[in-house]
Amino acid sequence: MAKWGMVIDLDKCTGCQACTVACGMENNRLPGENWQDVLFYHEGEFPSGTLKWFPRPCMHCENPSCAEVCPTRATYKTEDGFVLIDWNKCIGCKYCMIACPYGVRFYTDEKAQIQPDIKQVFKSDGKRSWNPPWRAPDNRDDWQHGVGIQPIGVVSKCTFCYHRVSKAPKGTADLDPKNPALREFTPACVLTCAPSARYFGDLSNPHSEVSKLIASKRGVRLRDHTGNKPQVYYLTGGAAGTIPTDRRGKKA
Amino acid sequence: MDILNARLSRRRFLQATGAAAGATAVVGGVGYSTLAPSENAHAQEKTAGGGTKITKSVCAQCPARCGIDVYTTDGRVHAIYGNPEHPIANGKLCPKGHLGAYFLYDPDRFRGPMKRTNPKKGRNEDPKFVPITWDEALNTIAARLQALRDKGESHRFALFYGRGWGASCAGLQGTFGKLYGSPNVAIGHASMCAEGSKRAKRATDGNDSYNAYDYRNVNYILNFGAGFLEAFRPYNYLMQMWGHMRTKSPKTRITTVDVRVSTTTAASDRALLIKPATDAALALAIAHVILTEGLWDKEFVGDFKDGLNLFKSGQDVPPESFQERWTYGLVPWWNVVVKTATPKWAAEITGIPESEIVITAREFGTTRPAIAIMERGPTAHTNGTYAGMCIHALNALSGSLFAVGGLFYQMGVPYGSLPVNADDYMDEYAKNGPWKKFPRIDMAGTEEWPMAGTMMQECAKNHLAGKPYKLDTAMFYYTNPIFTSPDAKAWEEALKDVFVIDTSPFPGETAMYADIVVPDHTYLERLQDAPTYPFEGWPLTQLRTPAVKPIYDTKVYGDILIEIGKRMKGPMGEYYKALGNTENVLRHLAKGFEANPGDNGVKDFESWKEKGVWYKKPYLWRQYRGEFYEWDGKGYNKKMTPEEVKAKLLKTPTGKFEFKSGFLEKHAEYIQKRLGVPPDRVGFPQYIPAMHTGGGDLHLVTPKTAMHAEGRGGNLPHAIALAQPSMGGRRTVFLEIHPETAKKRGIKNNGKVRIKSNLGVIEAIARYSPGARPDTLVLPQEHGHWAQGRWAKGRLPGNTSDICENVSDPISGLACYYTGKVTVEPA
Repeated sequence: MAKWGMVIDLDKCTGCQACTVACGMENNRLPGENWQDVLFYHEGEFPSGTLKWFPRPCMHCENPSCAEVCPTRATYKTEDGFVLIDWNKCIGCKYCMIACPYGVRFYTDEKAQIQPDIKQVFKSDGKRSWNPPWRAPDNRDDWQHGVGIQPIGVVSKCTFCYHRVSKAPKGTADLDPKNPALREFTPACVLTCAPSARYFGDLSNPHSEVSKLIASKRGVRLRDHTGNKPQVYYLTGGAAGTIPTDRRGKKA
Repeated sequence: MDILNARLSRRRFLQATGAAAGATAVVGGVGYSTLAPSENAHAQEKTAGGGTKITKSVCAQCPARCGIDVYTTDGRVHAIYGNPEHPIANGKLCPKGHLGAYFLYDPDRFRGPMKRTNPKKGRNEDPKFVPITWDEALNTIAARLQALRDKGESHRFALFYGRGWGASCAGLQGTFGKLYGSPNVAIGHASMCAEGSKRAKRATDGNDSYNAYDYRNVNYILNFGAGFLEAFRPYNYLMQMWGHMRTKSPKTRITTVDVRVSTTTAASDRALLIKPATDAALALAIAHVILTEGLWDKEFVGDFKDGLNLFKSGQDVPPESFQERWTYGLVPWWNVVVKTATPKWAAEITGIPESEIVITAREFGTTRPAIAIMERGPTAHTNGTYAGMCIHALNALSGSLFAVGGLFYQMGVPYGSLPVNADDYMDEYAKNGPWKKFPRIDMAGTEEWPMAGTMMQECAKNHLAGKPYKLDTAMFYYTNPIFTSPDAKAWEEALKDVFVIDTSPFPGETAMYADIVVPDHTYLERLQDAPTYPFEGWPLTQLRTPAVKPIYDTKVYGDILIEIGKRMKGPMGEYYKALGNTENVLRHLAKGFEANPGDNGVKDFESWKEKGVWYKKPYLWRQYRGEFYEWDGKGYNKKMTPEEVKAKLLKTPTGKFEFKSGFLEKHAEYIQKRLGVPPDRVGFPQYIPAMHTGGGDLHLVTPKTAMHAEGRGGNLPHAIALAQPSMGGRRTVFLEIHPETAKKRGIKNNGKVRIKSNLGVIEAIARYSPGARPDTLVLPQEHGHWAQGRWAKGRLPGNTSDICENVSDPISGLACYYTGKVTVEPA
């Protein structure tokens, strides 16, 4: 059984947000409610001030605190490493949103991020939160795995593109987007990443590219002290893409 | 915790929980649910399983022209990814590329041809459009053009275009102008784009073009203001190359010179935040260090005859002591300009410390291959062409022209000929009609702008003054100067008494002034060719194939033009009847591939459609250690003579890279009059202070951001939501202002401000940006739409074009978008 994981090389990340947009369109996210997000912040002052950024998908933790607190066991960890939400079971209580140390869970806001509310333009059928004309084919809906347009009243999150990855041939070490045979199984954010800063593969396979990168380029996990043990690793060589340090400048 | 949870504050969490949060937006228009279901796409070649088809097309959101795979199921487009077999896209996309379906399904799109019924025009005037048939629309336009021609006033018809794609759209316009008889068909937007870079290259190496670059092999990039990781083209490919350059061995080192903090400056090894409009001084000082320290490429440039370096700060060099190879005028340039352009001198002008200038120069001078890149940033000032020449001179000094890891120019596509020759359809009017004696309305190429190829920004002003004459009818294709031109409000006055024809499928500002709207397809519905912009040098052209049948009653622009042509009397009408339609045009273009099959096997129209792209490697020329070679079919084996180099590569009067520009010297009198440069200095790349406009005390720079699809992305809520990073905006872009600059003026962080120039006032939200230059405000361009759709309209900040004076670089004609100075105050 594979243990899917992601490596993000921050030395290569250009902060372009194509991952965010590809995810948003693949998973029919509402504008601004980004399962995959890039956070920007500023450090320092002229002439040495700079911009930093941090790409953030769900970490698909080995010990997901979100699953721990879920009263209905809607959030669960699969054998091959996905952390998913069963929308049939989710009651929208949002405990998981509090428990997640990474801020990557979403409840559809009543107030749209961008006005006028696009939900009123591409109206819901009563179950889904909205119904954009570019939505994925209806037969892709898979509420048990939190795949499809987010229904009303539930929490959603990055699925590691479960609907793509789960169809990958057994024994695949890496979902390399350069391999035409594996493109359709590769997560949207990995597929489109122009500088190829994202890698996706089997962490339990010592021969996989992701395992090698973590070893040779010193992959680190975000907030490892929480014990959540993310399955998303970052490579950081001090470039602008970076892990947040909570180092605050002077209050503006 | 603050950073990670920035997107989910306690307040928002509670808002999300509250059952009664106000979802009160009332939305006009009609949702998708009312559209007729569209049918399955035609011309779909490949399936992705589950009834899903993949159509090969080309993105249209910027000039990069990335090949895309459009995923369609049951007649609906639901995903767009990069075409993995396309040399620019390589299976990747930039953030804009994925949003293509938003354009197709834009609920505010025009659904068919319309005419205006409200004769009054203005920002707040509803055009009161009523639908008409295509026949009525095309007949109305043709009758109007015919009447002008019959009166001998055909020069009063102008066709304005911006993002032309290829031979099947903008490529048809020149012929239309020739057959119809108007010098104003067509007027392009290049002078509001990046013309300064092209003119700088024309003046130095004789190529009036943007460059192609060999990023795969370059080891040092000195970037003057190109938005490499935001807006430079081809953006998607540049990011792919960034990933390559930052992990190859040796790692490509990158120094970025810019006037603001950006993702590009942040990701570079060194960022130099320069005072706006002073890039030329920095480039000259770098040249000064390269020359005094003997770091120039001696095989390309040449050397002192006795090998002893006589370039010493402040000292003249005897011209006869230096033997130049592929350059011309190095010693005169040194003696007149460079010898005094010391790092100390440049530090005072640019604000960049002397030590950093020296370090950068040494890095650039000692690394090979090393290239200096630039585009609109340093050139959108009155001193812009000279700045571009100073920067490009560094490419000559480093010997990177036409070298591995260097830069070169784009080869054209061997298209087949059209089925009919326009020259056979010229009537007496077309050949010798009264229109022949009129200059273009923009006066480009006249003594007013002798070196400018096009001056779209001048047209409103000239029309208002009736100088050289008044326009009668104006048609617009992929351009919206009433919103984007400097002094955009002049266009709002000018177009009031002009009959306006708009071809955009979107309700933009031009459309609000339109008398007739003939909407184009959106790009996912089009059959249209698109040769590449300068990329890697070898020829490449791609084809858009419709992913779905048009979902509304629209028509591809090429066909609109052809259909108007068919309705004209005489040989012109016969020509267009013989031409047929754009598909016929494309089929004939593709015949050129029979003799030149592409590397991917594309040899005709059908295979072009299937693959979406034709290309043929390699680039045919290479400079290696001071010799030029041509490809002989197996390798770069054929040594070129100086005459061949002049004809094909260094197209200057001397056939060399000119540090003393023959092109500019021909216009010495004009340049002296407009820029005050003495005739004996005119030819040299040099720094002259820019003439700043606006009348304020702070520079205002107006960059293009990554999510910004050339102003047409304004109605995409998804893009608006991701307006970051420049500057930090979700839902909006902010005015970047240094906190000290703000506090002195009583401006609060996140406070609303008024930005004023001589032309007027716009509003924005200020955001304290400690990294910003204290003398410079940054506000992204082309926001503040007053039309374009429900999401675009009326959103802060204001439109920077409203406060940008219409002043241009006298040499290139490039509008000086970045040269304005403004005042700012709390609103």
